[in-house]
Amino acid sequence: MNFESTQSPVQSFDSLAPSCLMAATILLVEDEPVTRTSMAARLTRLGHRVLEAGNGREALEVAKRERPDLIIVDWMMPEMDGPTFCETVRRDPTMKSIHILLMTSHDQPAQIAEGLARGADDFLSKAASKQEISARVLAGLRTGRLVRELETTSSQLESSMLLLQIKQMEMEADLQSAAAFVHSLLPPPGSPAPGLSLAWEYQPALTLGGDLFGVASIDADHLGLYILDASGHGVAAAIRSASLMTFLRVENILHLVGTYDPEKVLLEANRRFPLSEEGEYFTLWVGQLHLPTRSLSYASAGHHGALISRTGRPSRWLTRPSSPLGFDQAAVFANDRIALQPTDRLFLLSDGIYEAASPTGEPWGRWRFQQAVEAQQHSPLITTISHCFMEARRWQGQSNFSDDAAVVGLELSV
Amino acid sequence: MDTPAVFILSEALDLADGDQELLLTLAELFLQESPKDVAAVRAALARQDCDGLTAAAHKLKGSVLPICAPRLFEHAQRLEVLGRHGEFAEAVSVCADVDRCLAEVHAALRDLIAGGYSS
Repeated sequence: MNFESTQSPVQSFDSLAPSCLMAATILLVEDEPVTRTSMAARLTRLGHRVLEAGNGREALEVAKRERPDLIIVDWMMPEMDGPTFCETVRRDPTMKSIHILLMTSHDQPAQIAEGLARGADDFLSKAASKQEISARVLAGLRTGRLVRELETTSSQLESSMLLLQIKQMEMEADLQSAAAFVHSLLPPPGSPAPGLSLAWEYQPALTLGGDLFGVASIDADHLGLYILDASGHGVAAAIRSASLMTFLRVENILHLVGTYDPEKVLLEANRRFPLSEEGEYFTLWVGQLHLPTRSLSYASAGHHGALISRTGRPSRWLTRPSSPLGFDQAAVFANDRIALQPTDRLFLLSDGIYEAASPTGEPWGRWRFQQAVEAQQHSPLITTISHCFMEARRWQGQSNFSDDAAVVGLELSV
Repeated sequence: MDTPAVFILSEALDLADGDQELLLTLAELFLQESPKDVAAVRAALARQDCDGLTAAAHKLKGSVLPICAPRLFEHAQRLEVLGRHGEFAEAVSVCADVDRCLAEVHAALRDLIAGGYSS
């Protein structure tokens, strides 16, 4: 037997709360016709649409087809009893959240425990008053609605998380690709010109770094070199740095400025890269080495990371007070000049290495960098640079830097 | 201890939420279904079938609840327990009580259907 009750709902709901007026579809499963007819009529009178089934197997078919909001099922039935029906519903992912009231005259704690353990949500006595039926049905409907909302929200969250993970993987892949591209723009270690050795180590704080450097031949007699630092780090800083790096390409500078004279390069860069509305800016050190005379001219826009390390003579920082790019359109960045000797080493470094902070917050400092370089004066250039990184990491007590860390070394051979 | 009443109209009406038409429908349904349940009880007794007796008595007990016939309910409930414990000798005796009581309930319900609520 499986039919839908046709009795018209009565509009009076006595003292029931307004929220009770929401009609629901209820599946009533009971093999005994007098009880089923009575309960169906009472539920219909409360305003609900009632579906009926005479045993558990029929009820499963109706439940799958109609997806009722609530199921009221008798405990003892032929074919499939109430607790077995509850277990079957709970195993079905499409029905498992339907609220189930087990209808019984059983009121022994052990039987109640068994019913709950096997999947019932609550109990309803066959002799329950109208008020009790209303209360239990409405509590069940409310709970069922909340469970469905929770499932929907949970499902939406899972979808969103999946989407986010996919997007994040795509973004990571993009970042890796961009990082590989930026890395390809960095000068290859080795010999950029006769009598010169180049080595460097670079560890961006994130996948993409905002500190970049370059070493390139200008002509047969000149080598251009620079190190730049974009304020901030991450993707935005890297994009801005790549833009300045493009500007600093030898062909571009010669086209725009006509010379790689450091003060003129900085003057043009200062004009083209003003302080951004967000307060972002660059510091930049530019040098030009005249290879026949080993004369290095250089200028700095707020960048303090250039050191000459010399055998038998004191090291020297190649900086003077100056403002970063874009702060003052009328700024002048005067050239300095130094004559280099064979075995001299020029180090260009980002502030990420010498500002590496110890656990107590004390920066490693340029002085300790200089000491590390001098202690490794006779080691191969790359060994000296690696030693600096090792010392900075040891100082800060961790391997990753909070800012981009770069050290470039240029050594003049004997 | 007082003997429970055969049929309590006021309580039956309460259980039908005051719906007189519904109670008449239930009464007719009970008149039609209960003989089948009692027949199932007798058949189970004849077979000495514990589960069959328990199920048939349980079904009869359930059908009695909405029409509020306490004496018949008690006998049906007793029969269900005896069936669960396989006490067939006593169950035969209780079955005779059920027969007597059922006849009284049927008579009361037929009166209700024939005379309506004014009788």
